[in-house]
Formats: sequence, C-alpha cells, structure tokens
Amino acid sequence: MAEFAAWVESTAVSKALFGMSWLWPLCESLHFIGLCMLIGGAGLLDLRLMGMFRGLPIRHVKALMPWAVAGFAINATTGALFLLMQPHLYLSSAVWWSKVAFIVIAGANALFFETRLAIPALAMDPDADTSAGMKLVGALSLFSWFAVLYCGRMLPYLGTGN
Amino acid sequence: MAFFHRLQDSAFTDWFLGSDSIWTYPTVLTLHTVGMAILVGASFVINLRILQVAGTIPLARLQPLYRFVWIGFTVNLLSGLVLFITEAADRAVDPVFYVKICSIVVALAFGAIVKRRAIDRAAIQQVPSARSRLLAAASLALWTVAIVSGRLMAYLKH
Repeated sequence: MAEFAAWVESTAVSKALFGMSWLWPLCESLHFIGLCMLIGGAGLLDLRLMGMFRGLPIRHVKALMPWAVAGFAINATTGALFLLMQPHLYLSSAVWWSKVAFIVIAGANALFFETRLAIPALAMDPDADTSAGMKLVGALSLFSWFAVLYCGRMLPYLGTGN
Repeated sequence: MAFFHRLQDSAFTDWFLGSDSIWTYPTVLTLHTVGMAILVGASFVINLRILQVAGTIPLARLQPLYRFVWIGFTVNLLSGLVLFITEAADRAVDPVFYVKICSIVVALAFGAIVKRRAIDRAAIQQVPSARSRLLAAASLALWTVAIVSGRLMAYLKH
C-alpha cells in the first residue's frame, strides 16, 4: 500500500492538483456541503423508518433521496481528490479505512432497504408504525453516516500515536 | 480587545490546544461538525421543501424537524463558544468570522419567518408563497456561506 501511495504521489496529476493551493479548501467546503445534503436527506428517511415523524408518508420522504445521493456524489468526488493529492495520509490511516468500512456498511444497508423493504415501506399508511426490520435499517443508516463523519473529522487526530 | 487576548492567552487555551488528549480540541471540533450536520441538514430539508422539492411532503409534518434545528444549533453555539475562546483575539479581527456569524444570524431569522409563514400555517396553504420561497432560497444560500466561511477560517489562522 505504501508503494502504491508513493506511486500515486509521484504522478503528474497528483502533483499538479496538490500544487493548486485553492483546490484543497474548495474541496473541503464542498465536502461539508455534501455532508449536510446527505445527512439531511437520508437522515429524515432514517428517522421516519425508526418510527418518528408519524404522519409523514415514506414515499414522499423518498423524494428527497436524489439530494442525499447528490450529496454523496459530491463527497465521493471531493474525497477522491483528497486521496489523489495526499495518498499517504489516507491509505496509511486505520481511521480512514474505518471510514471506508462505514461507507460500505451504509451502502449495503441502503441496498438492502431498496431491494427488500422499500416496496412494503412505500405502501405503508402514513400514520402506521414501522416494522422492527425498518427500525433497525433506519438506525443502522443513521449510525453509519455519523460514524463516517466522526472518522473523517477525527482522522488527523486519531491513531497518531498520542 | 484586551479581554479577547486574555481569553486566547489563558491557561484554559494552553490546556485545550496543547493537550495530547483527543477529548479536548479534536472532540469539540468534531461536535461542531456533528451539530452542523444536524442543524444545516434539517434546515436544507425544510428549505428545499418550501422550494417545492419533495413537494408532496405535508408541510405541517415537518414541524418536528425544528427540534433538530435547535439541538444542532445548541451543540454548535456551545462548541463554537469554546473554539472562539481559544482564538478570541485572532477571530475578533477576522472579517471571515464576522461573515460566518452574520450569515448564521440572518439564515436563522429567515428560517423563523419561513416557519411562521409557511409551516405553522400549512393547514391553510399547502403551496408556500413566493415570499416564503424567496426567504427559503436566501436561507439555503446563507447556510452555504456559513459553511464555506467556517471552513476558510481554518486557513486564516495566525
């Protein structure tokens, strides 16, 4: 992995991007905006699946999902740029790999919802309570996204030997 | 100004920024990001709905989201105060800091007007008025300004 990071860092594109001093702060700002779009949109669906916001039809809340997906796309893109500019910082960090693992968990959880639970969830009465499975999926999604945030924000401070 | 210098040069600041523990600066900074996700995330959803995104969501049903707006705001006011203390003298003369604070104050004020005009009276009116939509759009833009200026403050440290 260290050799791979060294190779990425030696490429012209990595050097050129890292050389643009304004790119890093721009990507960070976009990463924070994407985060709010993702947690705002997905979070409301998660809370509804957990049984809160009764009276809010799940199929209507789902209309916010393109915004959550757009937020994720912004963050995946800016995240890839961070990785390209500073490969060592991330690839050698257990905290970063934990972040990736939580993204995979959140993604698999969302996929499970879409394939197994979405049809009954969308057909539900707006005032009805959700099933135990839906509550679990909602809670796991919310937890995973905040874990992703935690790992990302704490990355410079965790696992530095202190 | 002397007061801000006293805060920034206090024993608390030395301990808070100098400590090797993750429970001081890193945790407060992370709480500030968690609070942002809750506050701005909830505000984005409300304002987008006012702008007719996910336009079938019954407006009145978004009322419980204001609890999250307040939770996020409280977390960030408190964590923000602690962060301010440790760099008080620098921030007191930092124009970007004032841009951030002003945009938050105005975004919250616009948000309160939108709540009163569109959410609390939703039973009467399902489609928000043009004025409400304008305020919601401005609020979205101001939250974005707050995030960007907050991020840029890290680059303007002395």
